[in-house]
Amino acid sequence: MKPKVAFFEFTSCEGCQLTVLDTLQRHPELLEVIEIVQFREAMSERGEDYQIAFIEGSCTRPSDEAKIREIREQAQIVVALGACAHLGGINAIRNRMPLEQTREYVYGDKKDWFETYPARPLSAVIEVDAVIPGCPIDRKEFATAVTHLLQGRKPAIPDYPLCIDCKLTENVCMFLRGQTCLGPVTRAGCEAICPAQGQGCEGCRGLIPSPNMHSIKQALREHGMTEDQIAAKLSLFLTYQTMQLEGVTPA
Amino acid sequence: MRILPKHLLQAWVERLRVDHRVVAPRESHGQYIFDEITSADELVLDYHSSVLPPKKYFLPPREDLFTFNAKTMEMSPVIEEIQPTVIMALHTCDLHAIQLLDRIQGTGHVDQHYQARRRKTTLVSIECMEPCMAQAFCKSLGTLSVPEQFDVHLTDLGDRYAVDVGSDAGEALIRGMGFFWKPSDADYDRFNEVMAGKWPNFDYRLDCDVTDLPNLLGASHDSALWDEIGERCLSCGQCTKVCPTCYCFDVVDEIDLKLEKGKRVRVWDSCLLEKFAVVAGGHDFRNSRANRLRHRFMRKGKYQLEAYGLLGCVGCGRCALSCPAHITPIATLNTLNERRQASPGESA
Repeated sequence: MKPKVAFFEFTSCEGCQLTVLDTLQRHPELLEVIEIVQFREAMSERGEDYQIAFIEGSCTRPSDEAKIREIREQAQIVVALGACAHLGGINAIRNRMPLEQTREYVYGDKKDWFETYPARPLSAVIEVDAVIPGCPIDRKEFATAVTHLLQGRKPAIPDYPLCIDCKLTENVCMFLRGQTCLGPVTRAGCEAICPAQGQGCEGCRGLIPSPNMHSIKQALREHGMTEDQIAAKLSLFLTYQTMQLEGVTPA
Repeated sequence: MRILPKHLLQAWVERLRVDHRVVAPRESHGQYIFDEITSADELVLDYHSSVLPPKKYFLPPREDLFTFNAKTMEMSPVIEEIQPTVIMALHTCDLHAIQLLDRIQGTGHVDQHYQARRRKTTLVSIECMEPCMAQAFCKSLGTLSVPEQFDVHLTDLGDRYAVDVGSDAGEALIRGMGFFWKPSDADYDRFNEVMAGKWPNFDYRLDCDVTDLPNLLGASHDSALWDEIGERCLSCGQCTKVCPTCYCFDVVDEIDLKLEKGKRVRVWDSCLLEKFAVVAGGHDFRNSRANRLRHRFMRKGKYQLEAYGLLGCVGCGRCALSCPAHITPIATLNTLNERRQASPGESA
């Protein structure tokens, strides 16, 4: 029997679900091995009897929590889909600023119309069984994750840094090209797509398990970045993780 | 020795391309990459180093080992059709590295995939006249001239190359080609002059003798230096990827969505990575960056020599160039040497 699968989104751009749609077009056989019962991006039916839930987006307001918990109750397996669900994503940039200030900046005099609080990854709200990282996710990695789930395994994602992917594809190091890169502390698995296109890594797949933050900051400094620029670079996708490492709580 | 006039180099390479895949360094963002050339005029002999060493032609970063069908439980080995290949312009450090890899992959469990590729590959090396980059320390490690094992070796004599042949495979690239002249007495004189003249261009950068390295590392097992450089190490593993003698790999199975057809793939691994030495039960016998770095240095300067009779480091300098934290073999080994001299008998 094919497992029933549902997709959900919270605060996100839905780009990861679009990537799933694209994966379905490239691998139509996916529909022979899973049954999608809920996927707002692609269908109007809403089945509630799913076993596997893929959730995109971060939790950014109190009213998200009940829905996230409800999905957790129903699903046997919950997979965080993409950087927002995995890391809080770019939504977490605001976590280092005073919340009131951010609300005013974004909503102006309508700030009281919208509930919001510091952005958190799914794992801060519920237990998450697996993660597919990236902004957006990688198509191949999604398909591989599904095969692992069908085999009853936890989807395996790399725990080594991007430098490995870069060297396996023989990219010239961004640092040697006079640019900056977060590759030495960022989780691999994207085939180093950004460096391959001439752009340093921004860290969308999150930090490796034991990142040497002191050393990466030193490398960035040596390549001409100021402390503010370093902080900004580390805030794009890594705010939630770096705040955790520093033991800082959202303002 | 034979002579190849420079104006015939391209014609020779074009002739080699008739029945060989010819690979040579190609410029990329200020660095060089070994890649197939599609015309002899793309040939570059003058380059500083390559991002990946030529080992990638014998030990590809990713390689299918066999395919399987999980339903029928059948498997079949992947025997890739390997094109006869000529690798041009290898530096002698890389030749020394290949000599070590040949020994490792041909001893004990002989690696069939490596052997199949290696047998089809002929190496054309070139004598280095100047240090290729500041990070190189070939002279200290004795890799600044050809090892016992080589195929064709070129030495630049100005308007011509001196060509030495070291194997039957090398001879096959030369014989009957018509591009090669007999050397004159003047060519021999010029050759001797060039070879004598190049040595002062290179510095000895290692403070101890190369034969002392195993002792130095043995005495430095508990040195505080490992923790000091371990603080800086990012554990990014680049040093092992770019190393011409590293060959560790991991094995992974990939299967299609219907869970039927799959393949077993091997991928380069790295002893610098956090999970490299994790074993069943989650035990990790090299659980710090310092431990892992020390292990790498021990492999290069001591263990390989003890196991295979050749040093695991050839002084190419690639790891030093690629390290974002500037951890280099020369600085590390010289510091260990300094500390040993400062407190003989004690751990450095």
